[in-house]
Amino acid sequence: MDARLTNAWRMTVNEKKFIETALASDLRIDGRNPLEYRKITIKFGREDGSSEVQLGQTHVMGFVTSQLVQPYRDRPNEGSLSIFTEFSPMADPSFEPGRPGESAVELGRIIDRGLRESRAVDTESLCVLAGKLVWAIRIDLHILDNGGNLVDAANIAALVALLTFRRPECTLGGEDGQQVMVHPPEVKEPLPLIVHHLPIAVTFAFFNSEHTMVVDPTHNEEAVMGGRMTVTANTNGDICAIQKAGGEGVTQSDIMRCLRLASRNAESITKKINDAVETYNTERALRKIKRHSASVAVDVSISGGDVREPENKFFVHKGISELSRDQMERLNLVSEEKCTSQSSDINGGLSSSEQGRTSCQEGNATNFLGGPSSWDPYSKGVDSDSLKVSLASLGISAPDKHKRGEQKSTQAMEDKVPEDAKPATSATDTSRTGPQMSGEKTLKDAVKPKDKRRKRASSSMNAS
Amino acid sequence: MMEIDRADGRTPNQLRPLACSRNILHRAHGSASWSQGDTKVLAAVYGPKAGTKKNENPEKACIEVIWKPKTGQIGKLEKEYEMILKRTLQSICILTINPNTTTSVIVQVVHDDGALLTCAINAACAALVDAGIPIKHLAVAICCCLAEDGYVILDPTKLEEQQKMKGFAFLVFPNSIHSVLPEGSLLVEGEPVEHGIITSVTHGLMSVEEYLKCLERGHAASAKLSDFLRRSLKLQLPSDSSKAK
Repeated sequence: MDARLTNAWRMTVNEKKFIETALASDLRIDGRNPLEYRKITIKFGREDGSSEVQLGQTHVMGFVTSQLVQPYRDRPNEGSLSIFTEFSPMADPSFEPGRPGESAVELGRIIDRGLRESRAVDTESLCVLAGKLVWAIRIDLHILDNGGNLVDAANIAALVALLTFRRPECTLGGEDGQQVMVHPPEVKEPLPLIVHHLPIAVTFAFFNSEHTMVVDPTHNEEAVMGGRMTVTANTNGDICAIQKAGGEGVTQSDIMRCLRLASRNAESITKKINDAVETYNTERALRKIKRHSASVAVDVSISGGDVREPENKFFVHKGISELSRDQMERLNLVSEEKCTSQSSDINGGLSSSEQGRTSCQEGNATNFLGGPSSWDPYSKGVDSDSLKVSLASLGISAPDKHKRGEQKSTQAMEDKVPEDAKPATSATDTSRTGPQMSGEKTLKDAVKPKDKRRKRASSSMNAS
Repeated sequence: MMEIDRADGRTPNQLRPLACSRNILHRAHGSASWSQGDTKVLAAVYGPKAGTKKNENPEKACIEVIWKPKTGQIGKLEKEYEMILKRTLQSICILTINPNTTTSVIVQVVHDDGALLTCAINAACAALVDAGIPIKHLAVAICCCLAEDGYVILDPTKLEEQQKMKGFAFLVFPNSIHSVLPEGSLLVEGEPVEHGIITSVTHGLMSVEEYLKCLERGHAASAKLSDFLRRSLKLQLPSDSSKAK
């Protein structure tokens, strides 16, 4: 017990006095105006329905998942929405693991009221079978860094995660229409949730000195403040929720002022959220088309990973496709000449001595057999091919373990190699058994329809 | 031996792209994020706090690990991960320097796409370095997966862990998770320190030769990983002079 008290952070009297005195002259310690919001950064995770929001130094992550459950008795036609807030001990030295404390519960309740009771998320559309099966949406909010004003940041994270979440589509089937089949995302495109409006929470902090009020307090200001109020408003001019739990008294005129400020801030924040979600949706659509170039990025892994190390790899509006394109460009600059010389070698027919060429051939063979095709009609077809050729050649000079892999494939492919004496003919991709001489691929391949490739890749996967 | 083709086109010995960044959080004394391909883990360290837990030895420093899954309740699996991490970190930290203190390591799973425990160990190690906790040497974790024909693949994705390639549904594939290898040039009883093993956790069935093969492959890959770790820990400049406590 004593240990916990000694570990809690306490602000010194000097710091408190400094903050209060500065506020009396409308100065905040981080240089903002009293009514100014901190910078909001919205990022997305790998899956649908995961968000990461940074409000100044406050860092919150939100995840949305869904599950089919039985509905509540008194609401058989509606799905449910539940919010779980985790005040992770990594956010603040005073946060303890285990059962959520009262501030965690309060935060969860504020967000809950804003979303559920204001009917922001349409729960009736979550019903699958009335009275039997409905979707239960679960929002997990992880507070990673407590820089003050957790409510606002967590609210934005929850909203962004809800807007980008896609629930699987399900159809009713069976003889009596009672069987529910849930379709995986590969079969049918998952559906977004229906969100009517965005309730934005804006927090105000009141101080003991006359009528001093700030918007979006940092954790230093929170340690000094006398009272706080959170107003949840949306762009339609509605006030969804107000939370003022104790603390010092505030005059009515100040409250009205806060409500007006909250509406104004809600508009700008809503715009930011909508912009971010737009970018994510376009990125997601692009990613669906470019799905196949994902394998190319991984081929580059050993050298590429080292190059990228200092960056924070939470994919900011970049799908794997964009990264692979960057890396492809980088590697292409390095190995352009190499690949052209290689293709001319392959053209000249097989010769026993060049280890480089044969391994280049089955290097490509292994890349093609059994894996998804990494050909992408929307980027330059030549790049990925030249990349594979250059990679295969790099693979020879790379350390031992890669070579072992290559040599093993040499033995396996040797019998197949004589089949393709004339590599030029393999440019027609109809032959699915022989190794593909990718050095010969031209824009002709870019014209080939996608499904043939996918079918071939999958059928070769089944065969092997 | 048949060549194994992996779904994302890697060779059996190829790792996924690695990325490591330090000093991401402001309140934590040390923090790091580590990602291998799509698996990403965030680790934070709160430096020596007063007092040890009830059953711990007060003459030594104590390490406390808290594992936070992405969604869901904390269950037995998380407790197991906490225990493995704690024992691993206890062996690399110099526990005699700050007796009767607790260092908390909090691990948050951001995305799980296979090899989660190894990602977490690497992240925790980097976070400890970022916090300045005295440690003897770094720890580098690698995950080796054993396919049904005895072929060893490194750094499996979640799909590979579950299906084991091409959907041979009737096989229960043994998956060996293997946390390895400090790096350093000290010699312990004639053998260099990096030949030792800090932690080894296995799942599934495998013969002794297969296990030794995994060890050897993992050892080769860990050299590369520890290079990467070293480089990424060095790159950050000490620009964070004051950390809010």
